[in-house]
Order: sequence, then C-alpha cells, then structure tokens
Amino acid sequence: LYSYSVLHHPRSPAFDYPLLVALVDLDEGIRLVSNLIEVAASQVRIGMPVEATFAPTAADRAVPVFRPATDAS
Amino acid sequence: MRPFARNAAIAGVGATEFSRAAGRSELQLATEAIRSALNDGGLTAADVDGLVSYTIDPVEETELVRSIGFQEIGFSSRIPYGGGGSMGTLLHGAAAVASGAADVVVAYRAVRARSGASRFGEAKTAPSPSSQHSGTTAMQWAMPYGVLTPASWMSLNATRYMHRFGVTNEDFGRAVVQLRQYAMNNPAAWGFQRPMTLADHQNSRWIAEPSIRMFDCCQETDGSVALVITSTERARDLESVPVLIAAAAGAGLFEQEIASDHYRPDLSVMDGSVALARRLFGDFSISRDDIDVAMIYDAFSPILLMQLEALGFCGLGQAKDFIADGNFALDGKLPCNPNGGLIGEGYIHGLNLVLEAVRQLRGTAVNQVSNARTALVTASRTGAILTCDEESGRAERS
Repeated sequence: LYSYSVLHHPRSPAFDYPLLVALVDLDEGIRLVSNLIEVAASQVRIGMPVEATFAPTAADRAVPVFRPATDAS
Repeated sequence: MRPFARNAAIAGVGATEFSRAAGRSELQLATEAIRSALNDGGLTAADVDGLVSYTIDPVEETELVRSIGFQEIGFSSRIPYGGGGSMGTLLHGAAAVASGAADVVVAYRAVRARSGASRFGEAKTAPSPSSQHSGTTAMQWAMPYGVLTPASWMSLNATRYMHRFGVTNEDFGRAVVQLRQYAMNNPAAWGFQRPMTLADHQNSRWIAEPSIRMFDCCQETDGSVALVITSTERARDLESVPVLIAAAAGAGLFEQEIASDHYRPDLSVMDGSVALARRLFGDFSISRDDIDVAMIYDAFSPILLMQLEALGFCGLGQAKDFIADGNFALDGKLPCNPNGGLIGEGYIHGLNLVLEAVRQLRGTAVNQVSNARTALVTASRTGAILTCDEESGRAERS
C-alpha cells in the first residue's frame, strides 16, 4: 500500500461512504488507484501488504480492488 | 539569463468582485476585469494585440474581441495544466512582448466555480480525455474507484507526504490559520472579518481523511482577474508603476499528471515544483534570499507545505516547523499569501495570486510587506518572479 485516503465528502450515489481509496504499488512495478475492502479505515497502514481481488462496477464489468494480504509470501 | 527577463512588465491589473454568485456570465466577468486592468495602465482596447488564458477558460477569444472591442489581435495562446499552469500566462505574455510577437498582451481568467454549471469541487462523473479540463486520460483509472474530486486526487499524495515526514492535519491547520488571519483584513476576501482558530479548523468536517478537512480547501469562487503585459520600455511611459517580469518558467515532467498526479515515483515531494525552482533560481540570477513575499498556489493546504519544500525555502519535511515558527507572517522569513491566498481570499484559479504580488510591489496591499521589492508567484509547475523597476526612478515609495 503506497498511500490511501478515506473520502467523506462530497458523495457520489455510486459509492458507499466513508470510501477507502488507495494507491497500490504492484510487485510488477505498476501503481494503481483502487479501493481497499475487507479492512476498517483505522486498521489501514501505509506499507501494509495487500492483494488483488475483483469487484463489480458499471456495465457488468469488474475492476481490481485490494484487501489485506492473506498470504505474506 | 533568458532574453525576456526584465524586458516585459505588468502594466495594469484588474478584477471583478469575488463572490459565490456573480449573477452574470464568465464573458461579462472577463470583460469587466480586462477593462479595469486597461484603465489601471492607462491603455485602451485598441492598444491590445495579444491574449493569453487557460485552456479550460470558457471565454472564447472571438467573443472577447467582440465584447471589448479589440481591433486586431496578432497573438493568442492558452496554457494547459489547469491551475498548475496559471503562472504560464506570465511566461507566454513576457515571451510574446519581448520577442516582438505582440505589443500589449492581456492575460485573463474568468470562473463561476461556485454558481456555474459545474462546481469546481464537486464530483466529476465522466472522464474528460481532453486537456481542456483539469485532468487527462489517467482520470479513467481513478474514477471507477470514486476518486472524483480535486480534494480526493490530491489527498492521496498528501497522505504519503504526512506518512513520510510525520506531518499532521493540525500542521496544515497552522498554515490555514495564518492565511485566514491575513484574509480578515482583506475586503476582497471571502474570509474578510471571518475569524477561524486552529480549534475551528480541527473541528471542521473531514473531506479526505487524514489530510484534508473542510477548512483546508480553497473557496469555490465566481470572478475574474486580468493582467496587462507589455514591454518594460513601454510600461515606463504608462500610468501605473510597472512591475517587471524578472523570471518566468514552467516544468512538466514525465508521467506527471495534473491534480491527479499519482504516477511519479515519489509522491511525498512535488518534484514538478523542484524542477520549476531549478529553472527560476538557476536561469535568472535571482536567489531565494531575494524573495520578499511569496505567493504559492494553495488550492488545498497540504500542497502549500509541499511546494514550500519543493521550491527549496526549507528542507523536506520542515515546512510544518517553518510555518509554526511564524515565518509566513509579515515579519517572518518568507511572508506568504498575504491576501489570504486561495483559501482565504478566493479561487480565481491562481491568477488572483499575481494580483496580490503586484499590489505588494506597488506598496498598496492591505497586509503590506515592508519594502517588498521582489515577489515569487508559483502554481506547482509554473511560476514567475516579479520585481520593482529599480531603474525607472518611479519605484520610490513611502
């Protein structure tokens, strides 16, 4: 996890708030803007290992989002 | 030394009132500000042959020519990068008049950022792939995650900055307190006679936690600012005291985005401003010690601290102490944004910072820096250094 922010305002009807957004540096060397799921805002720490999963978005598509890594390897 | 340095000058400045509901179009606002600036310099519309604005300004040159009555425009240009490009108007204006491409250039920006069709701070709901908005195709990689607003874009950089250097939101608050104290005295400011304590700041609601509270944000503002730029030689014969453009530069780096700047290697440092400072203080024989007053683009308070460091006025991570020690005050090491800044005065997308720099160098500011001779104006990736005209004999003031 390179950085994060907990968004409160203004609110778009497309999202639930507070909204956890993140910058994730992939091992492959790419940085992504994404969301963090399955973690409380108070538990988020820069540098924590995260892993990708997928969440539904508009038009029946999916986008990569991140949750705390279950396997530290 | 660049050939245009000190060969171009700001010969007039003008503005409308700053409000939350102007009740008239951007075109009319721009027209009023430009007429005011021309009057300030003792010029008429017929003297103008150049126009400069931002790519995202809604006022078209053709409409402006018709509305004001310009007779023959020979040079026009627009600056990309949103507010980060705002000081590019000075670079373009100076380059145009010093090269002979134009004799008198008007730089303008008109916004209805509060009452217009799209409030500046509100969520953008569709990517804007054109450079005409304050974002690029990279926005399509942020919007699916709800990263829709300028505050949300910049907050990701700010969190990383806070993490690396142990900076808190209260540290940002101390900068805001200084800006709001300045704004208290400025009748043109949103913050005029509107006190705010550090406790008020800390009690204001979160916009983007842990970096940006409501009082860390600039004001969405309606209004317009205009500048008249001509050769130093001609400016000396005009009515107002000329303010020389002693330096002007811009820097756009590989993979640097605009407000959604998420792909540079180290987001805890605004390295576009590092590059800008290298040009401003490397190419023009002016040092940081020469700066009497600094106008630094404070759309959100975290980027004020980050730019202060990137510009080299203190070490990385030291802006919080620099500000806590009172150095932004009139008697500090670097009086900063004494109009109240974009946070305290209003947000004409950065151009009102130039207005204040000119007032400071003319000696007519409400919060006047004693004997200000050299002013820095910067907006992330563009900037300029303005000076009094020491050779004209007209710069003497009480």
